[in-house]
Amino acid sequence: MTLRIITFLLAIFTIIACKQEAETVANEVSTDIYEAIQEKLIDAKAGDIIEIPEGKFLFDRPLSLDGIANVTIKGAGMEKTILSFKDQQAGAEGLKVTADNVTLDGFTIQDTKGDAIKLQDCEGVTIRNVKTTWTNGANPTNGGYGLYPVACRNVLIEHCEASYASDAGIYVGQSTNVKVLKSYAHHNVAGIEIENCKNAIVTKCKAENNSGGILVFDLPDLPAGNGHTCIITDNEIIDNNFKNFSPEGNMVAIVPPGTGLILLAAKNVEVFNNRIKGHKTVGAAIASFHITQRKWKDDNYNPFTHDIYIHDNVLERKGGVAVPDLSKEFGKMISFYCSAKQQDIVYDGITEGEGKNPMNLCIQESKEDLRFTNVDAANDFANVSNDISAYVCSLDGLPEVIFSESEVETKETQTEGK
Amino acid sequence: MKKITSLLLIICAVFTLQNCQKVNTPVSLDFDKLPYKNLSEYNFFTGDLKSLSANDRVLLYEPITPLFTDYAKKSRFVWMPEGVTADINEEGIIEYPNGAVLIKNFFYPHDFAKAEKGKDMVETRLLVKNNNEWNAYTYVWNDAETDAKLSKVGDVKAVNWKNEKGKAMSVNYIVPNKNQCKSCHQQNTVLKPIGTKVKNINKTLKYADGTEMNQLEKWMEVGYLQKSEYHKFTAMADWQDENAPLKDRAMAYLEANCGHCHSKGGQARTTGLYLTTDETNPSHLGFCKGPVAAGKGSGGRKVSIHPGEPEKSILLFRMQSNDPGIMMPELGRVTEHKEGVALVEEWIASLEKEDCKQQ
Repeated sequence: MTLRIITFLLAIFTIIACKQEAETVANEVSTDIYEAIQEKLIDAKAGDIIEIPEGKFLFDRPLSLDGIANVTIKGAGMEKTILSFKDQQAGAEGLKVTADNVTLDGFTIQDTKGDAIKLQDCEGVTIRNVKTTWTNGANPTNGGYGLYPVACRNVLIEHCEASYASDAGIYVGQSTNVKVLKSYAHHNVAGIEIENCKNAIVTKCKAENNSGGILVFDLPDLPAGNGHTCIITDNEIIDNNFKNFSPEGNMVAIVPPGTGLILLAAKNVEVFNNRIKGHKTVGAAIASFHITQRKWKDDNYNPFTHDIYIHDNVLERKGGVAVPDLSKEFGKMISFYCSAKQQDIVYDGITEGEGKNPMNLCIQESKEDLRFTNVDAANDFANVSNDISAYVCSLDGLPEVIFSESEVETKETQTEGK
Repeated sequence: MKKITSLLLIICAVFTLQNCQKVNTPVSLDFDKLPYKNLSEYNFFTGDLKSLSANDRVLLYEPITPLFTDYAKKSRFVWMPEGVTADINEEGIIEYPNGAVLIKNFFYPHDFAKAEKGKDMVETRLLVKNNNEWNAYTYVWNDAETDAKLSKVGDVKAVNWKNEKGKAMSVNYIVPNKNQCKSCHQQNTVLKPIGTKVKNINKTLKYADGTEMNQLEKWMEVGYLQKSEYHKFTAMADWQDENAPLKDRAMAYLEANCGHCHSKGGQARTTGLYLTTDETNPSHLGFCKGPVAAGKGSGGRKVSIHPGEPEKSILLFRMQSNDPGIMMPELGRVTEHKEGVALVEEWIASLEKEDCKQQ
């Protein structure tokens, strides 16, 4: 009898013990999920929703979706489904998508060895409620980009969060028709970067505590050259004074900490109704690609920033005793030629053509003590000037970004392909 | 009596086995049923599968300069059904007919200095053209190495071997998944073969019957290739041929190892870095070219190739790294290819020094 009771109790104990162990595994780390999810991604049919349950899952290899249109990858929520790549053995990113009309929704990707999520050659991208981060904080060995659509068309990023990327948290490159909405980028080198894109808008976003808040760049020697037309509006661009931890060589390694907005070789950009506050170096910097002193061999490339309309923003410098950045060349340049004073707007003054304002730079800001400096980099800083009068003008507002079919571009691509 | 029966049985069995070995059923594929579950079902190899003895019409080929895959040895074959032929297009790319199959076996001899000592099979990859499109199928060999099984999601296999110098080597070899195949095998987002460009197979090969012949001539002889003027496409250098110019060897190596992505139709075209033997724009070749999306892959260096200064060249840094977030190529290796790195390093060092800053 006693024996029976003991056996019974033992059995119960075993069950309880097993159950507890099983639960711990389910909630913390599962390593078997790679094959299960990757197989679903390979076997997906158009229209499928691939669900990733709540929990934290560990991956040793990257996930990828290729060539299957209209697939949704859905987690249980940004804070509920965590895909961790901290033990990644292979692959340059965590999740790679090369498929049209893809939707990513409700999960976090963290600690990838390279970029967190890369999407390439996609027609139609929706990324919603997705977070990318590196959990050990700012480190040059973190991956470059958090959310990284490149060579895509019709890209919507909304309600996302990106942090601790060693390049840009949200980076959209060489894409056409881009909307970045209501997203939060913090503690990256660049918060949000729009590079070589055509028709983009960044709105209702918060870029905070990065080295540079929002960047609009156009770089040479790339297949999608001369990006243009970008609206930056209704954003909170705040306190982007974080150290620049990007490895040298990368474009963003030049960004001086304490920078709100940079327009580099940008064309047709309207910046309005933003709150650009608390930067120790400069609120908005406007520069030609020449300022980087990099070489290029691209006959079609236009290195100048032109047709820029900056108006009706709330500009507040960091104030207090903070001096502009001295860790980067451009920080030093601003410190040196602006009497070590924080600036609202700095222009490199590198221009092409005749007249007082050949690049069509228009600034309409009502701030009384606006600090504007043209550092005259074109003439070795000979005539540094605070006179903004040549640039007080207005341009037509830019039209809204509309997602459209790619008839013309497809034809171009096909011709190239032959 | 029992003894006699046994003897008869044995004799029967021996006969049957011999017959099996002698009669080669030709390869005949039911394309609607592809991919088969097992490599053996294709009938590409006769007898013991692991011996990789080619069936009739299964023709060995070899590139001049191959892709490095963690020191794995490879044997490659092409097969086509009767009555179809490939053609060479204007760019020197072989255009295959429907039904063509490219077969690539990956294995590690136990001792690289003594190949006859046996080998460990890892994977066999097939590229099959059907309905005007290519499909990639990967087969992972079983532990007994009697057959290989279709794998969609890839695998990780521990392999070890003794290299030519007698050094014990080991890696966790990564078998790619289906999508990863395409990330290299693509031109303008469409899956394509890589290795069989005219310029990279235009060389003499020794065949199983002992004859030696230019591979393209052989393909024409067996009816795999239309009569073509292949001579107009300059053959790539053999990266190991010390008699060839250093530049040609380095560029051949870079094209074979990087050019499938780093070309105008490849997946890495968004970087503007094109590592192909026909690229002439120095920026696209990486000379004094800043990175676009390298992240920590820059290693703090500022340009892809700093002429004359390999230690300032990002390209070399990424070839030397085994960190998945830094290394190039992104896929297909977990070890450094020391000999390839040495070649590219020597070439960059030989270039005339240049100041990469804009004046």
